[in-house]
Amino acid sequence: MTTPTKSAPPTARSGAPSRSGLVLRVSPALLLTALALAGPWLAPKSIETPVDAPYAEPGGGAPLGGDQLGRDILSRVLAGGRELIVTSLLVAVLVTAVAAVLGAVSALRPAVGRIVERAADVLMLLPAVLGILLVTLSWPDGGRLAIVTVSVVLGVPYAVRLVAGAAAPVARSGYVEAAAVGGERLWYLVVREVLPNLRATLLALFGLRFVAAVYLVATAGFLQVGPQPPDADWALMIRENSGGILLNPWAVLAPSIAIGLLAMSVNLAAAALVPTTGRKAVPAL
Amino acid sequence: MAGSLSGAEPAGGSTLPRPVPAFLRTALHLAGVLTRRILLLAVLLALVFAAVELLPGDAATATSERGESAADVDERRRLLGLDRPVSERFWDWMTGLPTGDLGTSAHGEPVADLLSRPFPNTLLLGGIALLLTAVVSVLLGCWAAARPGGAVDRSVSASASGILALPEFVVAVALVLVFALWMDWLPAVTLTDANGSPASWQMLVLPALALAIPQIGWNTRIVRAALADEAKAPHIETAVLDGLPRRRILTHHLLPGALPTITAGIATSTGMLLGGAVVVETIFNYPGIGSVLAGAVTDRDGPLIAGVVALTGAVLTGILLLADLVRAWASGGRT
Repeated sequence: MTTPTKSAPPTARSGAPSRSGLVLRVSPALLLTALALAGPWLAPKSIETPVDAPYAEPGGGAPLGGDQLGRDILSRVLAGGRELIVTSLLVAVLVTAVAAVLGAVSALRPAVGRIVERAADVLMLLPAVLGILLVTLSWPDGGRLAIVTVSVVLGVPYAVRLVAGAAAPVARSGYVEAAAVGGERLWYLVVREVLPNLRATLLALFGLRFVAAVYLVATAGFLQVGPQPPDADWALMIRENSGGILLNPWAVLAPSIAIGLLAMSVNLAAAALVPTTGRKAVPAL
Repeated sequence: MAGSLSGAEPAGGSTLPRPVPAFLRTALHLAGVLTRRILLLAVLLALVFAAVELLPGDAATATSERGESAADVDERRRLLGLDRPVSERFWDWMTGLPTGDLGTSAHGEPVADLLSRPFPNTLLLGGIALLLTAVVSVLLGCWAAARPGGAVDRSVSASASGILALPEFVVAVALVLVFALWMDWLPAVTLTDANGSPASWQMLVLPALALAIPQIGWNTRIVRAALADEAKAPHIETAVLDGLPRRRILTHHLLPGALPTITAGIATSTGMLLGGAVVVETIFNYPGIGSVLAGAVTDRDGPLIAGVVALTGAVLTGILLLADLVRAWASGGRT
């Protein structure tokens, strides 16, 4: 965190600092995401039919060797990130949108804010991984919908706190109070007066929620409550191939590196987007 | 550290006569905190029960086998008591929890029996990881804060931010690869002794590290930020101007002030540690709740995971209560 800007007031439109440093920090995440999204088309071999012996060492047709069924690891790694990223993006967008509205409402209506606070206190007692297991096991046919739903429900309370904190000074500012006294509806105040001033916070929040969603969705994949076996999925590949880690380490190493790079680059981007507003130097994941 | 408490003591004797003595106020405050925590836990447990009940699919259909007739499924539903009204079963489940009855798994076994051996193992692993997280992140945070903006500060902060987002299973794979397979220093899988506990302490090293490393990244940032906040306080400036040694300022002035924030951060990590334990145990074949849950995933056993969530929630309530107490103590009952 070398950004020299000292605690800009949250009301200021510190949306795009437009510094080359920011671009440098955000681009790895964008590049990796684009690569993973295009991955299935880039895969040189089929991801389902074996091309080599099980756990074949790298060489010849398969640059990273074969997995437990002899399928091409390179192709599966290229194909295995799309669903993880699309699901995580969906979760991050939903959480940010819901939290933006709820956070702005909480700042304008303290009674709503207290309810949200209590909900966050309750959900703090539920580790997210256990929450995902609980819902996916009680709702076996839920599939990806179940994972998205529970990730959103578990993510919103923390995100609302962040938005409500940033929205509080905006809600107390003169022009919002003037509009409220002028008889504007709550919805109008939220959408037209408060949220436009929180663009920087919301962008940062989106980044943070994306980090959290990658963690959760990948963990669900690893616990085999997400994508199911024939699918190519980074987390699932790690789980499936861990038995052959000695024979062909790349079967586990390649998807691990992919998830690690994704998590770290997205986190780097999110950290760069966070407006440095004094106290909350460590936003809640 | 005693300095923070002494502020409250003279208030009882010297100033205006108070209708309520300080110790009683503190006791009332603590009782309030305790009641609130227990209420929150009760709400969570109700939500957990509702999730298992209201979502489509129940334990009887989840365990049904191919070709099983509808009558068989109904019979098992009756045996599991699933034909009784929801309100009755909810009351039974909730009133059973304080007595240690966690309900019945999809296979008809008491959940408490299934968890009585693995849960202490998970608490051991999580406890070691929590201790490791607390010690290392406070040390790293202090080391970084000692020279703000210096090379150490920047590299600690950067690597902390880098690892805090890593899923535990990725860290675990890296650790296994390096320390178990390439270096051959530590075992990659956990073997159990006759009691069902890990056979040797070495088997705890890698799982604890895999759990702790992301949380160390997370908490180092919290410690660093809390110390930076505290350093802005006027009494720290006075201490610096008085020429007190750096180390003394850190241990006697900065750390006590930052303690509530640090404790809250570490308490929050406990949930991540217990959740992550499920994943890490699967990789290392550690005999904890993770392995039980892995089986529950195959069987789609909702009641079993509800029991695990209930136990975890109780542990977290205890930890958060401790964090509340630390905050109350550090602020001398002023909260």
